[in-house]
Amino acid sequence: MRLSFYPGCSLEGMANNYGRSITHAFSDLDIELVEIEDWSCCGATAAHSLSEAMAVALPARNLAAADSMGLDLVTPCAMCFNRLRFSQQALEREIYDVPWQVSGELRVHDMTRYMASEAMLQRIAERVERPLGDLRVICYYGCQMVRPPKITGYTDFENPQTMDRIMQALGTRVRDWSYKSTCCGASIGIGRRDIRDSLSHRILDKARQTGTDAIVVSCPLCQANLDTVQEGSPRRPLPVFYFTELMQLAFREPAGDDWFGTHITDPRPLLRARGLI
Amino acid sequence: MKTTDPATAPDADRKVIGESGSLFLARLQGETGVNVGACYQCERCTNACPVAGYMDLKPHQVIRYTQLGWRHELMHSVTIWVCLSCEMCTTYCPNEIDVAEVINHLRNMAARSTIEPREKDLAEFHHVFLHELQRFGRVNELWLMAAYNRRLGVLKNKLRDGSLVEDLRLGIKLWRRGRLRLVPHRSRAIQEIRRLYRKKGVL
Ligand code: SF4
Ligand code: SF4
Repeated sequence: MRLSFYPGCSLEGMANNYGRSITHAFSDLDIELVEIEDWSCCGATAAHSLSEAMAVALPARNLAAADSMGLDLVTPCAMCFNRLRFSQQALEREIYDVPWQVSGELRVHDMTRYMASEAMLQRIAERVERPLGDLRVICYYGCQMVRPPKITGYTDFENPQTMDRIMQALGTRVRDWSYKSTCCGASIGIGRRDIRDSLSHRILDKARQTGTDAIVVSCPLCQANLDTVQEGSPRRPLPVFYFTELMQLAFREPAGDDWFGTHITDPRPLLRARGLI
Repeated sequence: MKTTDPATAPDADRKVIGESGSLFLARLQGETGVNVGACYQCERCTNACPVAGYMDLKPHQVIRYTQLGWRHELMHSVTIWVCLSCEMCTTYCPNEIDVAEVINHLRNMAARSTIEPREKDLAEFHHVFLHELQRFGRVNELWLMAAYNRRLGVLKNKLRDGSLVEDLRLGIKLWRRGRLRLVPHRSRAIQEIRRLYRKKGVL
């Protein structure tokens, strides 16, 4: 099976650990990810905020490139996913013209949704070598992957389930909670740290109240916020995993510290205590 | 008994309709395709908004002000910059008013105008981001933050509240963990992207 892959800028930088775990997880599932050649940035919040025309045009370049590959597209970043879908829908309505030919046929998936189909879940379950039965987790989806539903196509946007199902397939003890898609503050922390801190800490506090061991995410910005905001906090540390990192952990024998040593809130004490590394 | 002459009452000169009247509403509705007129001020958008507490104009007020054509107040608001585009308001409006789209459109308008943004650093960050994007075709976080921190206003603020030191400390931790990339990737698409910037009149 082959898919075209749009990694997004974060995966080359702060989320390179996410990138590595994706490569492993997909190769373990025998799926080939073909990176879009010479892809460019989707424009993220900045293009959207300053010029809607740019927010349509910047992703369009990548959509056109993916079109010519003739494969379904997956992207691991919630923001990229949202922007690609947004551009696709705006182009359909022909509001803006762009210098690239986009067919509109391309199917754009967010990675969690792709992995949460019945067939994929079965494949994941079959691949599990070490069920993570002792790990209590909750899943955090954030905004851009699920909202607005008319862009993302999520019908269960109030209580999304894609990562929850993947976590069940890995054997973790996953539970529901109420803050799955409450905003973590996104990039606002760069200009207004106070707002980011208050939003992210609220999510972490609510997470602690569920008695969970860790939070599972799929968005690089959510991971960065929830992970780094705990720096210097006196509260119980809550490691923030990418869902693909836990797939690795269930699929393979851990190899060296570079697996989990890259986080700011160190997950290794927890994993050791649970006998997982 | 004291009678109040309506003509001299304290709010007699209260502005009811903005200077450009319903033109502003018509323009916004036309450009966004959002039926702003359908709002009945139930405040559900504001109740759903995670940052309403930091806003001077709450989301439902933005909609009301738009109906009234109060362009000036909207363009000078904190709201258009602290809104996170989290889409809660849009998702929960019973009248399917795309509140987030209206706010974003106002932000676009403010960015194109000469009005000084109320949240300078937030506006500055978006500009720096787009600038980095057209340099490399992709955005490298290290270069982005370096470019942003070099802006004079930003640097002053960060020195004053000590967040520059915190940033550096975090940067070092990330660096040690191999999570920063020193040399930015240059996409071969830069020429195409620069042409796009010129065409769309950005920067
Ligand atoms: S939720 Fe919709 S109808 Fe209610 S105040 Fe907000 S915009 Fe108006
Ligand atoms: S999109 Fe903006 S106004 Fe709407 S709920 Fe989110 S932060 Fe509030």
